[in-house]
Amino acid sequence: MSTFYERFERHDHAAGLKAQSTHYCPGCGHGLAHKYLARAIEELGVQDRTIAISPVGCSVFLYYYLDVGNTQAAHGRAPAVALGHKFANPDSVVVSYQGDGDLASIGLTEIMHAAQLGVPITVIFVNNAVYGMTGGQLAPTTLMGQKTTTSPLGRDRTMGQPLRMAELIAQLDGPVYVERVALFDAKQRVRAAKAIKKALRLQVENKGFSLVEVLSECPTHLHLTPLEAQRWVKESMLPVFPLGVKKDATPTDWGTWQKADFDPDALLEAVGARAPPVPRFCSGFPHGLFGGDIGLKLAGAGGDGAQTAAMLIARAAINEGFDATHIPSYGPESRGGTSYADVRLAQDEVFSPDVPTPHVLVAFNAPSLAKFGLAVAPGGVVVYDSSVVREPPAFDASVRAIGVPCSEIAAELGERKVKNTVALGALQCATGLFPDETFLAAIRQALQGKSKLVAVNEEAFRRGMRAAEGCGADDGWFGWWI
Amino acid sequence: MAPVEVRPKPVLRSKYCKGCGRCIDACAQGLIERGTDIHPASGLVPIALHPEACNGCGLCVDACPEPYGLVSASLAAELDASEDRRRFPHPRLPAEEVPAARAALPEGRPLVVKGTHAAAIGALLAGCRHFFGYPITPSTEGAELMAKLLPSLGGVFLQAPSEVATVNMMYGCGGAGRPVMTFTSSPGFSLMLEGISYMIGAEVPGVFVDVMRAGPGLGNIGPEQADLKLACRGLGHGNTHAVVLAPATPQEMLDFTMLAFELSFRYRNPVVLLADGHLGEMTGKVTLPAELVRPGEPAWAVSGDAAHRRNLIASILLKETDQEAHNLGLLEKYARMAEGEQRAELFRCEDAEVLVVACTTPARMAKGAVRALRDVGIAAGLFRPQTVWPFPIRSLLPLLGRARRVVVVEASGGQLEDELRLALSHAGASTGVEIQHVRRMGGVLPSQGEIVEAIRGKRSSRKVVAA
Repeated sequence: MSTFYERFERHDHAAGLKAQSTHYCPGCGHGLAHKYLARAIEELGVQDRTIAISPVGCSVFLYYYLDVGNTQAAHGRAPAVALGHKFANPDSVVVSYQGDGDLASIGLTEIMHAAQLGVPITVIFVNNAVYGMTGGQLAPTTLMGQKTTTSPLGRDRTMGQPLRMAELIAQLDGPVYVERVALFDAKQRVRAAKAIKKALRLQVENKGFSLVEVLSECPTHLHLTPLEAQRWVKESMLPVFPLGVKKDATPTDWGTWQKADFDPDALLEAVGARAPPVPRFCSGFPHGLFGGDIGLKLAGAGGDGAQTAAMLIARAAINEGFDATHIPSYGPESRGGTSYADVRLAQDEVFSPDVPTPHVLVAFNAPSLAKFGLAVAPGGVVVYDSSVVREPPAFDASVRAIGVPCSEIAAELGERKVKNTVALGALQCATGLFPDETFLAAIRQALQGKSKLVAVNEEAFRRGMRAAEGCGADDGWFGWWI
Repeated sequence: MAPVEVRPKPVLRSKYCKGCGRCIDACAQGLIERGTDIHPASGLVPIALHPEACNGCGLCVDACPEPYGLVSASLAAELDASEDRRRFPHPRLPAEEVPAARAALPEGRPLVVKGTHAAAIGALLAGCRHFFGYPITPSTEGAELMAKLLPSLGGVFLQAPSEVATVNMMYGCGGAGRPVMTFTSSPGFSLMLEGISYMIGAEVPGVFVDVMRAGPGLGNIGPEQADLKLACRGLGHGNTHAVVLAPATPQEMLDFTMLAFELSFRYRNPVVLLADGHLGEMTGKVTLPAELVRPGEPAWAVSGDAAHRRNLIASILLKETDQEAHNLGLLEKYARMAEGEQRAELFRCEDAEVLVVACTTPARMAKGAVRALRDVGIAAGLFRPQTVWPFPIRSLLPLLGRARRVVVVEASGGQLEDELRLALSHAGASTGVEIQHVRRMGGVLPSQGEIVEAIRGKRSSRKVVAA
């Protein structure tokens, strides 16, 4: 039997004549396009591999007829659905069958991008210059002067002009083959059948994207007899939509398709979970520091390294077996602009991850210090870059503010970027949050693959600590407020 | 002398001829003309064929738009032979269902990753190797990680031209039986709703991670629980529902994404995972599970091979009673989801007199508030829906007898409260007290402090409105 189902069970449960009769009006071109597609599938021996995507429009019921894998798509989206199928099963032969409203109006984005992508799928585009299923409205391919129910006096320039899809698509780099054919006489029908087969063959051979535009008759909505409609296509459509091959690139192979890998080790490797655990140095969560969970805010301009430093603190805490969160917040700029980070540390579980009243504020510039300085919790610590903040604001008496020339120290080290590590060292000196080794291990861990930077960051951390000496956790300063 | 080739003559199956006459033009011999008699079965006037002088060129058959109208002699013989044999769609048996399998995952170290990355890794662990998406802040980093990792795992990452194309690529790929996902954020999720309706109608699995941001319109990229209503009540047109998961930590972003794939295939339905801007960006500790999933091959998939050739993915049922039956089937499926998939975390609810209801990131602020309230002797508890649809009403009902106050904390104008009220109403239950709320919007989340203040400041059952 052919590529058509022997009985069209999906056509109203094959009731009566519907078992072997299509739903198309007498003389409609869709039946012919279906037939040539079915024959091409048969002749290429790919019936089992073929997936036909039915569009919205008169050919929505393609799946009634073609005995292949079938998917019915939303209006205009058939090329996207086809790509989904093709990527899911590269061996499948995927055909997107679409009308003019579907492809050239609502689905313009999908068809243009699928064509330019060039993935081997086959598009059969049936252009009959009118909307059929909705009842004869203006199509993007309706001719100038053509009367439709939504251009009752004929299409004029206020309704736009017909879109020549084959030419549009042929000028893209993606497709390997684009041709426009017609159905109005025996010669054209032979060409149409041949073009459809070629378009399918190029996919079977894994060459690339191809599209065949088929000028077709809609006798019903042209208000013509089928034979008059054939003449109309020949005499009226052809001057606007010239037939012929629009693109026939020397097809090279699309390339090999990858095979999905579900190997557990490969996955662990990919997500970076293969490395051995980082050693622990901490004897317990620093509950005594601020009376429980700890909130830190790091703020500066984009590029100051606030987020990287915030991440290091969170990572250090997690390495020690505690819980930590880090929430970044940026201004709208892609580069520069403001950059704030909220870090919350807890022994077992961070509850509220935001830090409206930080225990520790690290500010890399004056605006950040002004914005968050007064929100610091009583008894809190502020570390700021005294290289750029010359006049710090007046803080609450219980807040300890430590100016450290982070930028200058970084410049001395020859690596301006490490000013955040300098600040981290200062923070560590001021709070003794975790053992020094915890931070140094986190720094080394973060710089995996960038080993050249490890030494300068370690040095920056130590320099930051030294610069903040005298206001540290060891001088008994915390005693009076805890 | 070479034998004369006798080409078989075409056969007109007049019942199926619509009399269009395309074949009349096609015949060079002029052996076809318009008919005159109405066919009793079709009510149409078939053409009249005079095959006596026919040389069997076949051009008339190629001109007939009907597959079974004017046919070749060989096809006619086949059709006659099988007249009484029913064959739908062809005699093949349904494909065999190949279930998903689990494989042990060697122990790795905990990851320190942001929420979107955790969800992406969860998808990979769930066997997802197909990603389609369109960049939108604050969800994009999930897509970026997929773009980086999928090629090394033999997977597919494709940046679609839009969210509309994205969801339709998912429809095709999911319809082929593959675990497929996307990351998006509120405006993008809006654009995907039509496609989600098609997926639900055609029973196609797929996972949508929506990192919600502030709206309406373009709004901003700050966190808001802006899409609870869409996900729970508005998944496109028609009779739609999907399980809506609401994680609150990066760990749950991973765990719930894995769960989402499992549920998506169990019910052949999309699953929505609602994060918010903070959760998507939030870095935290994430422990990997002990197993990963190797996806199966569903029997229903349209996968381009002989075993699955009979299958159809479609949401169109032209006959009204067929569509109604399909909808009844969907309702029955939604009832199974509602029965089997309610999930909630209860924190200090056992003796709670003040019951705080919150989900996603605001639930963490609420959890902090509950601890702070407990510290000052107020018996508060957090009821955190981990599925917003179905709302976990079963575990809420037993708490209502003790609760003297119910306070919904959310980053929206009342979308979570609406879900709570609907769930209570469907259960024929009531809180017995007025439902109060703490709401922030526009990219602002309720802080722990303002929740505590709101609850401490108002001990009566009057409305609590945040400053």
